[in-house]
Amino acid sequence: MRFLIRLATIIALFAWTGFATAEQVTIRMWMHEHPPRIPIDKSIIADFEKANRDVKVQYDVISGLEYSTKLLTAFAAGSGPDLFNNTSTLVTQYFAARILAPIDYDALGYANEAALLAKFQGGFDGIRFQGKLYGVPTEVSNWACFANNAIWREAKLDPKTDWPKTWESLPAVAEKLTKRDQNGVPIRRGFDFAWTIPGTFWFTPNTMIHQLGASMIDEDNYKAALDTTPSHRAFQYLQDWAVKYRLGGPQYTASRTDFLAGKLATECSFGIWGIPQMQAAGIDWTVMPAPRWADAVSDNGLDIYAYYMMVNARSAPAAQRAAWKLARFYTDHAAELFSGAGLFVPRTEVTESAAYKENPAAPFFLAELKKAKFSPRVVGYTQVLDTILRGKDKLVQGEKIDDVLPIMNEEVNAVMNRERARASTLVK
Amino acid sequence: MTTSIVRRAGSVRLHRKWWGLIFVLPVVTFFAAFNLFPTLFGLWLSFTDYDLLSPPVWVGLDNFANLFADRLFLQAFRNTLVFVLGATVPVWVLSLLAALVFDQAFRGRDLLKAAFFLPVLPPVVVIAVVWRLLLHSNGVLTSLTGGWWGVTEIRWLADATLAPFSVIAVHDWAIIPFFMMIWLAGLAAIPPELREAAAIDGAGPVRTFWHIDLPQLRSTAVLVAALSSINAFQTFALQYVLPTDPGGPANSTLVLGLLVLKYGFQYFRMGDAAAVSVVMFALIMAVTLFQLWFNRHA
Repeated sequence: MRFLIRLATIIALFAWTGFATAEQVTIRMWMHEHPPRIPIDKSIIADFEKANRDVKVQYDVISGLEYSTKLLTAFAAGSGPDLFNNTSTLVTQYFAARILAPIDYDALGYANEAALLAKFQGGFDGIRFQGKLYGVPTEVSNWACFANNAIWREAKLDPKTDWPKTWESLPAVAEKLTKRDQNGVPIRRGFDFAWTIPGTFWFTPNTMIHQLGASMIDEDNYKAALDTTPSHRAFQYLQDWAVKYRLGGPQYTASRTDFLAGKLATECSFGIWGIPQMQAAGIDWTVMPAPRWADAVSDNGLDIYAYYMMVNARSAPAAQRAAWKLARFYTDHAAELFSGAGLFVPRTEVTESAAYKENPAAPFFLAELKKAKFSPRVVGYTQVLDTILRGKDKLVQGEKIDDVLPIMNEEVNAVMNRERARASTLVK
Repeated sequence: MTTSIVRRAGSVRLHRKWWGLIFVLPVVTFFAAFNLFPTLFGLWLSFTDYDLLSPPVWVGLDNFANLFADRLFLQAFRNTLVFVLGATVPVWVLSLLAALVFDQAFRGRDLLKAAFFLPVLPPVVVIAVVWRLLLHSNGVLTSLTGGWWGVTEIRWLADATLAPFSVIAVHDWAIIPFFMMIWLAGLAAIPPELREAAAIDGAGPVRTFWHIDLPQLRSTAVLVAALSSINAFQTFALQYVLPTDPGGPANSTLVLGLLVLKYGFQYFRMGDAAAVSVVMFALIMAVTLFQLWFNRHA
């Protein structure tokens, strides 16, 4: 009898553990490295696992420099994560390769798209493809201009009153802030563009062209619009900046680096997340909007980008559901991510949080965000960007804009046509 | 008795054969897994269109045909040839000159030789980072050279004409000591009686060099030529780290090695990347075979 009881207990235990194993889902979550966010991530995941005993999360943090390559090779090897975070500029490639699963509203815990959008005050334009949403924002970032008050004061200027509201007035103000040597070489720049940082430079001409009511790339018809009047104006401006006015250029230290070192008076590639860096560098700053054209037809500031939490369409259905569930749990901690890691998502709980209200720049950034636009998203983004950067280099070397832009336009079209054709060939 | 001995000897041979196979198996397996398979897989990929995210699609020779109409490839090809030229001929000559200097006995030679060899020790990336600072438009090198004619800004790395030569100069500076050591080994292997005989016959240093040293250094020269050419064709790290942006400005320092990275991991064109690698392999093979042929027939 005793033997039978023992046997029954063992069988029951086996059955129970077997059942439990069959029900448990392990999901792999990949995030790029952002040190202040990592402890928050871990705490969110621990809470999620406590609340969802049937889901185990394998969390991996990957260095920002390697992140995209690792994602790519992991997908290639069939071992891509179930849930991952990436930027709006790169998602089109994943969409084209059908890596992205459309949002499962049921698993995400929203009745429908309208219910999801009602929770946010924007940020979804970068992840909408053919009318469907493929991710939830974990960071929506727009940039603005920051003035180093000490340098402005030294030049007898006040950022608030002397701020150049237009691109046309910027060179004169920048000149006053620039210190030159006996040969006219800037030894301290008043303002400069992020010439050598590809992803950052991408936003500059795009912003200028958006303000003129156009776009560098017609995303709907998949055509480059680089040989147009607005594009000529934007690129002519950039060329004049480096060649005619000699106010800066790619030969100098990256603008953001020099600004943080107190060697550049004004920098326009910081989001709200940049403020702690300025405080750490001991810079007394004033935040101001990016200039607009005098005849701008759109009042947008610098272009926005976002990071989205996306689900791998190749994962098992149970893993996909669990991943969306975690995406919801994670994005519901937006206020914590803002206060602890400076990652802004336009949600009510963020804009009503103490951290947001205590941040003097926050309302300004939100106001600019509402007017900003996403840069065009294309398959083969890195190749398109490289082609544009090559054209920019030629302009800075002094080549004529009328020679450079038509070639740039033709090359970007060739890249986009090829990549679109490839996407439809490769994805059957 | 004889049959038993023969059988035993056969068994020992068989055992030895098996043991031999067992001993080489790890190396063969390692080579097959990490050298042979990737090489053959790369070759196969060069005949496909593969974006890493979807399964490869067989396209035959299309990738190779398209390469020769691809502006980027043609520019990288041209840049690579310029770099190879700049990273071989001057290196051969200057490293040989340095070796001839250090082959002479003089005070402090060993210390100076060690100091001269130092640039070989750090990784290329470290060298590139240091030189990037030195070659900043308003950096140390500009102060040192531009000061002579009152120039305060030289775009060593930001000018599309100057940047490729700056990269070559840094490369040559770092690699010359390495080849100098090879030449020195070659010089040390020349029998001293040959030089002594030449001296007795009244040959001066120049004639000794032309008629004794140089012919004796022929196999060293082939080694230096082959190693430096292969190394130059495979260049990547300098062009990636040194310029203002990898391969820039205006792709003036874009070389084939860098193009493989761009195509494969930035443009999602793994098939094209593999095709460029195959072209690089063919180029290196052709140059090396030519050098070997030249050594045999010259």
